[in-house]
Order: sequence, then structure tokens, then C-alpha cells
Amino acid sequence: MNQQIAFRVAYLIAGDEAEDAVQDAAVKAWRALPRFRPGAAFRPWFLRIVANEARNRRRASGRRTALELRAAREEVSGGAAPSPEAAVVGAEEHARLLAALESLPEDARLALACRYLLELSETETAAALGVRPGTVKSRVSRALERLRESYD
Amino acid sequence: MTELEHSLAALQVGWPPTPDVASKLELDPRHARNRPLLVLCAATAVAIVAAFAVPDSRSAILRFFHLRGVTVELVQTLPSAQERPLSTGLGNPVDDRDATTLLGASFVPAHHGPLYASEGAVSTLLAVPQPALLTEFGNAFMLKKLANGAPVSVEVVPGSPGLWIVGQHVVVFPGASPRLAGNVLLWTRGNVTFRLEARGLDETSALELAREIMGTDSG
Repeated sequence: MNQQIAFRVAYLIAGDEAEDAVQDAAVKAWRALPRFRPGAAFRPWFLRIVANEARNRRRASGRRTALELRAAREEVSGGAAPSPEAAVVGAEEHARLLAALESLPEDARLALACRYLLELSETETAAALGVRPGTVKSRVSRALERLRESYD
Repeated sequence: MTELEHSLAALQVGWPPTPDVASKLELDPRHARNRPLLVLCAATAVAIVAAFAVPDSRSAILRFFHLRGVTVELVQTLPSAQERPLSTGLGNPVDDRDATTLLGASFVPAHHGPLYASEGAVSTLLAVPQPALLTEFGNAFMLKKLANGAPVSVEVVPGSPGLWIVGQHVVVFPGASPRLAGNVLLWTRGNVTFRLEARGLDETSALELAREIMGTDSG
């Protein structure tokens, strides 16, 4: 499950080069293990290395991969299936929201994707963004404002 | 959470399937050829990716480093062990043919002093620049216990992993009582693991000597 998180963080940043980014990050993490502070949380530490590696690859390629909605959305509510009309409206709304998210600047898009799509903690989001944990809240708040403007 | 935040959290993004990064690190020979960094102690890097799923296991990763037949364990305190001269307990004298049979490959360097074998490992003493012990083994296993610091990854043979261990540590080898060892360089080529030990040998000198042994020095 957490390997999936590492891959998705890399994918948000580096797109198709995510797999190579995670591989290189694993090797770099191994080399950096002597500097790992005992008692510190392992996941943010590793995510920071993954995100840095992904950013390096993204800078080299200059490309960003757009997120897409899952083609066949599973019904996760456990309740009754929505009517066909409601399903179409829901799908359109989701597509519009995702398009609005994709239109945001990179920092804002990444902040919202980490917090809401990947459900990372503030500490983990900070690691992925390469900022201090205290910066995450304000960055997410500003990103939400921009998204609201773009979406409404 | 606002309505917008709820909507974001409910987005069903079509993520690409997560690849099995751990097994690819270990098995993909293309990566080994094109990106030597990736084969640098791939086993431990694999452990990092794999154990990422189990946060509590990070302490286990930090405690163990593997290099083919050698496992280095980081411990709080060293177990009791004797400090013995490098020349003791090397085993029985063997010739080149016996050494090749034991190792599955010729002992290197081709020109060397007397060879000794014990529990699948073949050793010889070197005298450059100070007494040093060179041990090579194919299928044998060795455990090292290190209390201070951690091994540093190095590359003696291009594309093959290596470890540089500084300071006193305890070597546990099958059939022998534990003994205190000094600075050690470990590296591999093919299926053979090489171990070079000498007290007072620094990393640069050890790497130069190892490359000379392997015939890969540039000088």
C-alpha cells in the first residue's frame, strides 16, 4: 500500500518516469541511511527522497502527465446505484473538478493532490512538496481558493 | 471539510498500476548495465522499498546490510571476541586448483602468496603496504557485527556492489570463534565475494589495493 503511495507521489511529479524515480530513490535512501535520524518517521523521509528524485527527472524531461478520472468508476458508497442521469452529472462534475485541479500551478496542484487524492498527512505532504510542515496549511488553503475560483 | 474538499477527496483518479519496484530493482539486468548505481547493494534498496509498507520494520532495515555472502549487523555493543593476528586460523594450505574448485573461479590476483582454505573461503596474506588479509568466498557466509557507524557503499568493480567498514567489528565465520577485525573492504565480482582487511588501512588505499588486485586500477 505504501509502495503505492511512493509511486503515486512520483507519478504526480514526474509522470511516466515515476517508476525509475522510485527505483533511484530506493538506492539513494539506502546510501543515506547512515544519516537517517533514529526515532524519526521513516515514511516522510523516504517520500522526500522520492519527490526530489521525481523533481529531478521532471526537470530533465520538462513534461507533466495529466491525471485522468478512472474510466469505470466503482460505486463505493455501498448504497443504491445512482440513476443514470445522476451518474452522468456526477461524472461531469468530477471531470470538471479534475480539469480545474490540472489547470492549477504545479505547487498548488501537488499540495491538493497529496492532501486530498493521496490523503497524506501534513508532514508527509511537506516532505513531498519539499517545504516545512508549517507551510503546508497555508499552501493548501491558497490552493483551495484558486481551485474554487477556477471551478465555480 | 468544505464541500469542495469533500469533492476532491471523492475524485476517482485513474492511477496507473503500481509497478513492483522491489523485484525490478533486483532482477532487471538492463538497469544493472545502464545504471550501475542501481545494483549498488540492491538487496538493501529492495528492502527499503519492500519494508516501506511496514513502518515498524525500518529499524530492522537500519540494522542489516547484505552483500552476497556477507551480512553486516549493526549492534548496540559488540559481543566478546578475541583480537588475533591476521595470520591465525586461515585453514589448510591449498593450491590454485583447489582454490578454483572452492570458489568456482580463479583466485585473484593470479600472482599471490600461499593460499589457505577454511569453510569454503580461500585466503592469502598480502604485505602491501602493511599486512593485509585477502579472503575470497563463493558460497560461504560470514556475519559481521558493527557497533559504531555504518558501512559505506563503494564501487570497486564497475557495476558491482561494495561496502567499506571502518572501525573495530566482530567477524563471525562458521567453524571459527568470533574475532575482532579492523577496517574492511568488501566487494563482489560474479559469484565471488572479496574481503580485504588491514588495520590502519584508509578507504582510498583500500580501494586502490582492491582495484590492483582485480586488475582494474587505472595506474
